Amino acid sequence: MIERWNRDQVLALAPDAPSQKAAQGVSSPGKWSGIGVTADALWGECKGSGSKPYRACVDLSEPAYRCSCPSRKFPCKHALGLLLLWSADGVPAADEPADWVAEWLDQRRDRAAKAATRAAATADPAESGPPGGGRRAEQREQRVAAGLSELERWLADQIRQGIAGSRRHDHWDGLAKRLIDAQAPAVAGSVSRLNAVLATEDWPARLLGEYALLHLLSVAHRRLPEMVRASGDGADAPERAGAPHPAAAGLLQRVRERVGFPVTKEEVLAGETVRDVWDVLGRRDEEQDRLIARRVWLRGRATGRPALVLSFAPVGQALDASLVTGTALDADLAFYPGPSPLRALVAARHDAAPAGPAPGSTPERALEEVARALAGDPWVDSWPVVLDGVTPARGSSWQLAGPSGGLALHPSAGTPWRLLAASGGHPLTVAAEWTPRGLRPLTTWDEKGRVIVL
Amino acid sequence: MNASAEWEDLVSTALVGTDRRPLPGGAPGEVELLERAAVHTLRMRAGHRLEKGEPLSVAPPEEQPALSPAAADRLARILGGERPRLLTEWLETAAGHGYRISPHLLPELLDQGARDRSIRPHLGVLAGNRGRWLAGLNPEWGFLLEEVTSAAVTGADGAREVWELGTSGDRRAHLAALRAADPAEARELLAATWEKETPDDRAAFLEVLAERLSPDDEPFLESALDDRRREVRHQAADLLTRLPGSRLGLRMAERGARYLSVEDGRIQVTPPAACDGAMERDGIRAKPPRGTGERSWWLQQAVARTPLAVWPRLLGRPPAELVRMKIVDWGREVMAGWVRATVLQGDPEWARELFAWDPLADLLAALPPAEQERVAADFVRRHGLDGQLIMVLGGASAPWGPGLAKAVLQKILEVSGTQPWNLGELTKLAGERIDPALYGVAERLSPEPPIQEVAALLRFRDDMLKELV
Repeated sequence: MIERWNRDQVLALAPDAPSQKAAQGVSSPGKWSGIGVTADALWGECKGSGSKPYRACVDLSEPAYRCSCPSRKFPCKHALGLLLLWSADGVPAADEPADWVAEWLDQRRDRAAKAATRAAATADPAESGPPGGGRRAEQREQRVAAGLSELERWLADQIRQGIAGSRRHDHWDGLAKRLIDAQAPAVAGSVSRLNAVLATEDWPARLLGEYALLHLLSVAHRRLPEMVRASGDGADAPERAGAPHPAAAGLLQRVRERVGFPVTKEEVLAGETVRDVWDVLGRRDEEQDRLIARRVWLRGRATGRPALVLSFAPVGQALDASLVTGTALDADLAFYPGPSPLRALVAARHDAAPAGPAPGSTPERALEEVARALAGDPWVDSWPVVLDGVTPARGSSWQLAGPSGGLALHPSAGTPWRLLAASGGHPLTVAAEWTPRGLRPLTTWDEKGRVIVL
Repeated sequence: MNASAEWEDLVSTALVGTDRRPLPGGAPGEVELLERAAVHTLRMRAGHRLEKGEPLSVAPPEEQPALSPAAADRLARILGGERPRLLTEWLETAAGHGYRISPHLLPELLDQGARDRSIRPHLGVLAGNRGRWLAGLNPEWGFLLEEVTSAAVTGADGAREVWELGTSGDRRAHLAALRAADPAEARELLAATWEKETPDDRAAFLEVLAERLSPDDEPFLESALDDRRREVRHQAADLLTRLPGSRLGLRMAERGARYLSVEDGRIQVTPPAACDGAMERDGIRAKPPRGTGERSWWLQQAVARTPLAVWPRLLGRPPAELVRMKIVDWGREVMAGWVRATVLQGDPEWARELFAWDPLADLLAALPPAEQERVAADFVRRHGLDGQLIMVLGGASAPWGPGLAKAVLQKILEVSGTQPWNLGELTKLAGERIDPALYGVAERLSPEPPIQEVAALLRFRDDMLKELV
């Protein structure tokens, strides 16, 4: 049985603020007929402007949404309105889903089964291996290498001439375009995001830091393959004086990912999976180049492992809404390979689990964890942490403090009034995203354990 | 060189460029600089230490009951933009029961209170100790610290303390409670500290004396006519006007006799020729608003401040006849004065007669509730849907019973066939004022969308009020 989500949790599923508002407009019982809810499905018919009502339903176990309305927003206002009504305990329980709902659920199960068979088929070793032939792959390697060595030269030039003159928003445009042409899209993305640095007061220091990490990435891309080769397979080479660390192979994989060689979903799913009860800590959407990146942060209850489920969609199109903040799911996660594994895919869902405050740690332990993550992957710039027994405190900025000191909040958090109100000066459990500039608070829990989205 | 000084050095070198400022001792400077910067950046990220901070004070524990989750959710819905006009009713009901709202909703609600003065008295109760603690952190929410802090100020022990140390809201509530129980003691309590109260407080406290007003209050009120603050003087004059046989009433009656008389079955009017100090002391303002003549202004106010009981005695006719008589030249002023007096003195007999002459919302409100409904329902049946109908209905006190509800729903049904685009305000008002328990009646009345809209709103309120019991 799925616990009813609260209003905050439902609204957090909306693709944007107008959808939140529109959903509230269709969340009153009078707009709906034929509504019902079973253990894992919710449905109803909502009167629209046409003669036929829109049929909306939600598969609560996934969750997944479906509506007959023409909206391209996802979940649409009808699905969200229906969820709001359910969250206000306004939907009567039913034994069986309505026919049209049952049909949809069956279709979904069929599709899932077929996909599983297909996945099993493609996992056949005979079919694996680099697609598209070696020549094209080799060409790409050369282009990327050339693009990155240009990046290395460009960075050196900047430092020679001084970065004082780089305070123009289009300063990086040409370089980013050339990196895209060089088929290194991820590093091109990092370069075009440098614009944001200029908005801050200490931009010279931050810009130098970013340049330094980009330099590190180019050098790593140039030199790591050699080191991996030198250590044999890289995995089991005996430790010798001067020999490269066996972790180099893993690091190389991460470097290639950061440059823009994608790891395919199939590869990830074919790797090792971790089963745990995963608390969904919160999410953050970020627009980059007309593309919305959605980060959903998770943490395993038993393993304590952090995870990031990342998805992308063009602005205005459906984003993955299958993970609800403040819920918990028993699932297998498949992690992307490399050191400090964080990014993951949900490989299999088993069940919903009772939600509640996620187990937390002290600020000190959280910092140690972040340090370990950075040691494995120096380019890590966000990491999910759950702090327990912390209190909001004032320093040079607002912070979350334990007995021996506090961690600053990210400047974008401003004065975190909701968090302050929930705390009242008392310690609480807060899930947050660690970033080099401070914590971005995600969620907290009230005294009854109900999630509050911050 | 320590780490942070070295970092500063790297940044300033990078700013001007290694061409102009080579790194000390470094060979190909730019690569060296980038590599050292990378080490520093990572060291700063991975080696971040906890900072000292100043902890917040701890909010005092709560004494009031918490809202049910359903009620809290409904408040969040209303704050989120669903049925926003019901916010006041929600707040008033919840505050009346002494609830406190869920802490995480406080910032939104206090922001709303910062914008909308009218909801602040309810917020004082609802915010609880957590709310006042928060208001201490944000000057924009400082208004909260002046409001009533709990639904009921009871107990004689705490009473003295509340009067001495409470917020002005609490002191007002305490005075009102005492006034209801023992009018004389309340007046004496107020008189004892009167001189030390702020002008705003004096005006607010005087308002409390309207409850259980009696001739014993006269000396105190009479002395308040000489107060420094105009609001206080006017409030005192208003109360004295309502007090049968007060000296102010007698003075006004004397003036009235000079201004109005009956000759040849018509009311003859001689407006005041001047506004002297005695008139001003009795609450008549000398300076007219722009566009109004002086004599017209003084006459209107004098009539408004004269006890209504004076006129039948003086002019020899009951109110029913007086309001229909021809008034020579100054009819507008006299009638306006009577309307104002009726509202001020809450006189149902005059209200009834004047409403028939000029259907004003304020006059309707001066009638006893049952009669208000009857009169309003009758008006709805006779009158077309226009701004005046809306205004009049706004005067009928809520909740509307079955009679008025039926008349209004019938009107909505009528209009939905002819000018449905005009129904917006009437359906909203109906949904907000009809007794919510009647939602079933509305639901069954007709499938027409505007009726169903009213029904939906009533049902929302019915659920809302049940959650707040």
